[in-house]
Amino acid sequence: MRYVREIKYGLHVIFHPFDGFWDLKKEHRGSLAAALTFVGIVIMLMTFEKQTTGFLFNTVRLKDVNVVVDVLTVTMIYVLWCVANWCLTSLMDGEGNMKDIFTAMGYALIPLILVRIPMIILSLGITAEEGTFYYVLDVFSYIWTGILVFFGTMITHQYSFKKTVLTCICTVIGMGIIMFIGLLFFNVIQQMITFFTTIYKELRF
Amino acid sequence: MKKRILFIVSLLAWAGLMAPTAAKAEVPYETYSYNYYSETVAQPHVYLFEETLSFAGFETPLKNPQDMFIKGDDIYIADTDNSRIVKTNTAGELIFEILCADGEGDPLSKPQGLFVTAEDHIYVADSGNGRLVEYDENGAYLRQIGRPVTDLIDPSVIYTPQKVVVDKDGRIYVTAYGINMGLLEFNIDGDFQSFMGAAQVSVSPFEYIWKNYFSTKEQRARMATIVPTEYSNIFVDKSNFIYATINNLTNADMVNGADAIRRLNPTGNDVLRRLGHYPITGDIYKSEDNKWSSFIDVAATDYGCYFVLDNANGKVFGYDYDGNSLFVFGRNGYREGNVQNAVAIGINDDASVIYILDYQLGSILTYSITEYGQHLLDALRLSDSGDSEGSINEWKEVLRLNSNNEFAYTGLGKNFLANGEYKKAMEYFRNGNNKKYYSKALYYHRKELMEQNFGKIMAALAVLILIPIVVTVVKKIKKWAGDVKCAMSEK
Repeated sequence: MRYVREIKYGLHVIFHPFDGFWDLKKEHRGSLAAALTFVGIVIMLMTFEKQTTGFLFNTVRLKDVNVVVDVLTVTMIYVLWCVANWCLTSLMDGEGNMKDIFTAMGYALIPLILVRIPMIILSLGITAEEGTFYYVLDVFSYIWTGILVFFGTMITHQYSFKKTVLTCICTVIGMGIIMFIGLLFFNVIQQMITFFTTIYKELRF
Repeated sequence: MKKRILFIVSLLAWAGLMAPTAAKAEVPYETYSYNYYSETVAQPHVYLFEETLSFAGFETPLKNPQDMFIKGDDIYIADTDNSRIVKTNTAGELIFEILCADGEGDPLSKPQGLFVTAEDHIYVADSGNGRLVEYDENGAYLRQIGRPVTDLIDPSVIYTPQKVVVDKDGRIYVTAYGINMGLLEFNIDGDFQSFMGAAQVSVSPFEYIWKNYFSTKEQRARMATIVPTEYSNIFVDKSNFIYATINNLTNADMVNGADAIRRLNPTGNDVLRRLGHYPITGDIYKSEDNKWSSFIDVAATDYGCYFVLDNANGKVFGYDYDGNSLFVFGRNGYREGNVQNAVAIGINDDASVIYILDYQLGSILTYSITEYGQHLLDALRLSDSGDSEGSINEWKEVLRLNSNNEFAYTGLGKNFLANGEYKKAMEYFRNGNNKKYYSKALYYHRKELMEQNFGKIMAALAVLILIPIVVTVVKKIKKWAGDVKCAMSEK
């Protein structure tokens, strides 16, 4: 029952971000479990959208739909953003801990679910000339989510507006750096493995 | 038992090895088309190589022929390097040859183009002498048309007519070497009228400013001059429209999809329909030898299908009236049925045979239509003439032979759309990847659904609106009743 209440609380957060994110953190009206549920739904939505969007608005070829890629895209972006954000804010006097960030960002994804599911239904019933409605909703869902991510960060860490802007920009850069280091790491590991296998082969024969 | 299995396995392996080679040996080229997703998709052959007309019976063999004209069974060839015009037929017999303009004297010089009118009069672009010459049906000299009298052409430019066409009303259109202001138009008496259908030049503002204000004289001299494109060949169709090909396009033009072919109406405007998925520039990718298509000649049917010859890769591109790429076939090479340097294309009256003139071989290659191709062209012809019943049958045949043909799905869908079967039309447009028509069918399908279920929809709406109203009214009554009760008890 508590879980259902936490899920329902999402509706309050997306319409009253300031109040909502504050209570999310201080009053524990939401939880990480609920936040991760939203992330899970977004992942499913990604795949579902590619398969069910009406022919006129579907830019994806069904042959090219890959569930693994969808799962990884959403998870990667979510986790990278949260981790990069945490790395930065712990240096910049942010008040939120890792769990707070993951929870707030999970709740911030709700507009994607709320707007994009009706979009799928709409795409089945409208013609190309009426496509503007579809595209407006498309942009709207992302803008709403973006705003929530921004205010989520602001309130979780008790930042000023300016500082939040700076943090968001730095977070994006941080994501790039993490990815770069990750790739570098894998590359080095690969080289090492090759090195040791070569030595092993040399010794064996 | 083991031995037997081994035997069967080896037999199968052997069959597997042999089968494809046996099938491939027949046709020395592939036929394909592009689908919605920019992939090349193999197709059944549309035209199959028939024979090479090498004109072995001629006293002097053809030498670098540049142009030909097909009329029924007759073939007219501009035998350029022998400076003559040859009339022959599909059996390869020489009917007559023309060597001179007027009787014995005044020989032709390297004629590069020719045209035959409905009355079998032959117009020759006598390039070396800078004139057009007209002959009657027996090859007897009628008249000549010299250099156009106009100030629009610089006197220093040597007038070299290359290709000539004459429309039904007797207007003569000529392309000339080094003249890029369009086609030269002569009236029926041979007087120069004007230029027609000049290719538009597009210069980016940046390029213009850079060139005119910031570069030195030396730089300017080394830069490519910005000039309109010249037409490589022209063809006049039955309704007096002129198809003109352009082949000196740059790499950037090809990547951006510049127009490599135009259909000019009598006032010189380009009216070619470009509704296909891709620009009409031939292959959408470079060939294996790193070459873009280069359009050198075109032939069109009465119903708007046209076949364009690509000199760079020796391919023929078939397009329908809307500019959809129907098929591509042919290839450069040295096997029988391949071309080496194709310069001219011609079709017979019902497009059942395609003739390709090979400049290097000095011979004509003929390709005859297959069952699949016949159904495809018939379907387009019948839908153009409005015979929807007939075209449905033909499209169905096309689909039977090639279920990958997007145009067949679209064609059938259009017929269903016209007959009011919107749901079915939607399904076919979807298979044909045609969003434009799918949208149209969806519009009518939706309207139909709305009309059929109007009562239900209105009822649902009414219920949705009524429920809150009823609820509020009930609440208000209750409240009022409560107030009254309170007032009563207070009293």
